[in-house]
Amino acid sequence: MTDPRHAPPFEMTGALVRRDGREVLGGIDLRVDAGDVLAVLGPNGSGKSTLVKALLGLVPLAAGRTEIYGEPPARFRGWQRIGYVPQRLPAGGGVPATVREVVASGRVARRSRWLPALLGDRAAERDAVDRALKAVDLADRARDSAHLLSGGEQRRVLIARALAGEPDVFVMDEPTAGVDTRNQAALASALHELTRGGRTVVLVAHELGPMEPLLTRTIELGQGRVVRETRAGDAHETPATGRPA
Amino acid sequence: MSEMLQYPFMRVGLVMAVLIGLAAPAVGTFLVQRRLSLLGDGIGHIALTGIGLGLLTSTSPVLGALVVSVLGAAAIEILRARSRSGADVALALLFYGGLAGGVILTSAGGGSGTALHAYLFGSITSVTVTDLYLVAGLAAAVLAIVAVFGREMFLLCQDEELARASGLPVRFLSVLIAATAAVTVVISMRAIGLLLVSALMIVPVAAAQQLARGFRGTMLVAMAAGVLSAVSGLAGSFQYDLPPGPSIVLLALALFAVAVAGGSAMRRRRARAVPAGATAPAAAGQGADTRVDAEAEVLGG
Repeated sequence: MTDPRHAPPFEMTGALVRRDGREVLGGIDLRVDAGDVLAVLGPNGSGKSTLVKALLGLVPLAAGRTEIYGEPPARFRGWQRIGYVPQRLPAGGGVPATVREVVASGRVARRSRWLPALLGDRAAERDAVDRALKAVDLADRARDSAHLLSGGEQRRVLIARALAGEPDVFVMDEPTAGVDTRNQAALASALHELTRGGRTVVLVAHELGPMEPLLTRTIELGQGRVVRETRAGDAHETPATGRPA
Repeated sequence: MSEMLQYPFMRVGLVMAVLIGLAAPAVGTFLVQRRLSLLGDGIGHIALTGIGLGLLTSTSPVLGALVVSVLGAAAIEILRARSRSGADVALALLFYGGLAGGVILTSAGGGSGTALHAYLFGSITSVTVTDLYLVAGLAAAVLAIVAVFGREMFLLCQDEELARASGLPVRFLSVLIAATAAVTVVISMRAIGLLLVSALMIVPVAAAQQLARGFRGTMLVAMAAGVLSAVSGLAGSFQYDLPPGPSIVLLALALFAVAVAGGSAMRRRRARAVPAGATAPAAAGQGADTRVDAEAEVLGG
């Protein structure tokens, strides 16, 4: 058990995930320190999305353990420190939601359920949502139906939702897949702002594009294992042996 | 109208219609977004067993329905969480068991076919002032739950994984939504009947989806449509001597048809207006396509 004050955002040891008897993750060791900007790369089906979901405790582990700030996910209480950006905005049963409603829902972990929002809180919340919308350049679409936006715009809405919660750690599942170059550049600049503020970022990506200069680390998965790990500034790549230190 | 209000049961009935017109679509908005549109029907079947138990033990059928349907709703949510694949069949078993059990228990308790009929299709004339107090209290509880937990329920209905990664008590909230739906079924059954009760939760929402842009907007439009169809359906059924439940449901369906026509006209106008503004015509075209898709999906479902 690590001292929670010094515990890293994520620490995973020997994580094994099985789905229908098949090993999706085959014993992953991964430590993400505060301030890291880590990209998880790999081909389709290599377990990238499963890895980030396992880090958040959304996928049960068959073996091994994972901790968020020193606590197993089931016991972790500081969820307002985590901003998860899923791959897509599910349509569900088709009840519309405005861009603003979706973005404001990112503040839910910060709000007390029972105390009616004080006026000051409401103003703070409105400001946070406005800032998040501006950061992804969607302030003028706030009243539009989120599901009617293009795929790239929807991704920006999802990122704005995480931004609105003002977390310390961002976990993004393919934020750039299917996003055109102009939108990718907009994303990269939003990300740049965050990392300058010392935030931790874990992102799953197919190709890095304009985000590459921001990264401090990359790991590459292949068939549920880490096959390569690179640190920015390292000229040489370290092929991963079974358990990197 | 004034003639109608001379009858005490109509005064009670109209107040009740307003209450269920507000409560049912408010809960229904969450059910539709969670793809649980038929949950209300299932709960209605299960509630019948509660009514049978109430009649058999000569206690209150409404209380029996309340207890059994809330327990049934919780059981449904737990089954759904346990197994995605087996849940479908498990739900069917629960629904048919509830309906069959209800009919058997009612007849074992010496209940007549008319008593059963009144619960299945609604009978507003038999409603008493005591019933109204109960309905008012429960409707207030339903609306209070929506007000207090609405934001968390919204996130849960949007994306369950994200809700978990935001630290929300997902299991509790799922059961809460189902239990709130069960309470709504029970308060609406006297007026509309168990077989049609779910319609007032779903149809106004389906209508509002066509017109509103946001979740809150959909819920408010649906509540307005719910009150409109419940009150005018009840008044119309009195005027023309028709059963109230089916009248309310048919009126809600008529509102849905109007909303579909109005909604597609509105979308067409918006789609035409946007390219004229010369703002990224490609993006606007894509948006229009999505709209047509969304509409087709709603109509198809």
